[in-house]
Amino acid sequence: MTISEAELDRPRKPSLFGERQRFMLLLILPAAFGLAFFQILPILTGANASFRDWSLHDPKMTWVGLKHYFYVLSDDGFLKVVLPNTLVFMAVSVAVSLLLGLCLAAILNRKFAGRAVLQTILLLPLMVAPVVAAIMIRWMFNDQFGVVNAALEAVGLSGQPWLAQRWSAFAVILMADIWLWTPWFALLLLAGLQSLPREPFEAAAIDGASPWRVFRFLTLPMLRPVMVVCIAIRAIDAFRTFDIVWTISAGGPARSTELFSIYAYNEAFQAMNFARGSAAAMIGAAIIVVLAMVIFRVLNRWVEVSK
Amino acid sequence: MTAASLELVPPPRKGFFAALAPGGVKVLFALLAVGIAFLFAFPVLWLVLTSLRPPSGVYFVHRGTEFTFHNYAEALAQPNMLRAFFNSFAISTLATVLSLGVTVTSGYMLSRFRGPVPNAWFSVIYVLRCVPYISWVLPLFFVTRQMGIFDTYWGLLLPHVAVHICFFSWIMKGFFDGIDPSMEYAALIDGCTRWGAFFRVALPSAVPGLTALAILCWLYTWNEFLFALMLTSHKTPILTVVMAQFVHELGMEWHLMSATALMALVPALIVTVFGQKYVIRGLRV
Repeated sequence: MTISEAELDRPRKPSLFGERQRFMLLLILPAAFGLAFFQILPILTGANASFRDWSLHDPKMTWVGLKHYFYVLSDDGFLKVVLPNTLVFMAVSVAVSLLLGLCLAAILNRKFAGRAVLQTILLLPLMVAPVVAAIMIRWMFNDQFGVVNAALEAVGLSGQPWLAQRWSAFAVILMADIWLWTPWFALLLLAGLQSLPREPFEAAAIDGASPWRVFRFLTLPMLRPVMVVCIAIRAIDAFRTFDIVWTISAGGPARSTELFSIYAYNEAFQAMNFARGSAAAMIGAAIIVVLAMVIFRVLNRWVEVSK
Repeated sequence: MTAASLELVPPPRKGFFAALAPGGVKVLFALLAVGIAFLFAFPVLWLVLTSLRPPSGVYFVHRGTEFTFHNYAEALAQPNMLRAFFNSFAISTLATVLSLGVTVTSGYMLSRFRGPVPNAWFSVIYVLRCVPYISWVLPLFFVTRQMGIFDTYWGLLLPHVAVHICFFSWIMKGFFDGIDPSMEYAALIDGCTRWGAFFRVALPSAVPGLTALAILCWLYTWNEFLFALMLTSHKTPILTVVMAQFVHELGMEWHLMSATALMALVPALIVTVFGQKYVIRGLRV
């Protein structure tokens, strides 16, 4: 802790509810209110439902304890389809968006004619409503009317029923997610690139280092802290992806592309069992909380090593 | 310069392509840039093309040559359309202002204080950030009903603000971590109150970061769908919901959806074109 931090942090009166405490609490008060009423309260409502027999048709709400949790945790669909799907989705989406985002940031960090135009085009996915983009992508991969099949047939290949097969549907969803999130990575990494100090690069230029070596041994290690923030935030978001999958495949064909949010939604509204859906959501939340801590630890160590 | 000193500084190495064809790297680079731009723009280009086709032409957008602007007029003439535009604009703007106002103090607190209270607050934020939307959007519907704010501005605004609290507090903490607190220390010594030090010293230094977040927050809320779908009904039409409802089981009105989507893209495009340099300048996490 630096001296200045210690001063701001120093209790002025040694009382439990002194001036410093009051200031801290006032600072977080509005946010705490928002969280309490619009996040914690709904979550508790959902948690309460997950311990009861509460289908939407029959709201008797008898307490059944962990019944729904046992059901979900012993459901083959959850263990062998939903969980692997979610983890693969998370890993591939984050890894590919990060790599592509890094390339784009490196390109945009150079000076060339038309750079501003290219940057605006690359940010297009941030400007289109994701639901519209997803509807459009589903349409493009339609087996009868889609432009993708039309293009394949035009060059002599046979079209595929993209959304009727498990892995091709999964690939389309992944592609849409990567398309949607790469600009976000590129933006953050570009901001990171532009705030790097110039001196090491000048030194490398004098030493005659090749562009690749400069990138590999200077840029990449110095970007690690930004990359860690990006990965941590995006990994959590990817785990709970809902709208893209819902719009493109709704978990089909035959529930084979369900991620865990879709599983919870389907259990709650298609199978009309709100309690079971809530239990699934709680299990997913527990998994991601633990997973996020692991990711954070590993990434932090990775940053420490680079220092 | 002697020969010996020349040897110490090796000439810049030429890449494979540069050796192959002088100027080739530039051409390759340009081709790459155009290719990437095309891939990224393709779904939007397709949206533009669809919006210009007559209703009979949208099933085979890639065939036929009739084009029309009539879809835009028809979309605008839909009941609720202008209200949906206004509502979306008002909700996005208000949500941005409120979210930033609420989280800037929370992020400042996380950045400047150590101890049990900040630690507890950070844990709450971290855990809540991980909880999937789906597990609180469903109950949120019942909660806003109970409060009597379902299908009103407040019923959509406050949940939107709540979504942003965790993420923004985290990012704001990063902004304030990057600002040297010694100026605030000096202000405190000069007799400023803690609030004075926050408002007059810390807050102005955080403006670039706040601008960046404001732009991203506005874009996110403008395009948000799940909350709008769950928490509003016909009294407060929201643009993304209106758009998506053109394409449902009964009627596939692709021409109207794409025309509306493109009109909705215009404000977002304006914000992005003018805002991107502030975003890149401000997002130094």
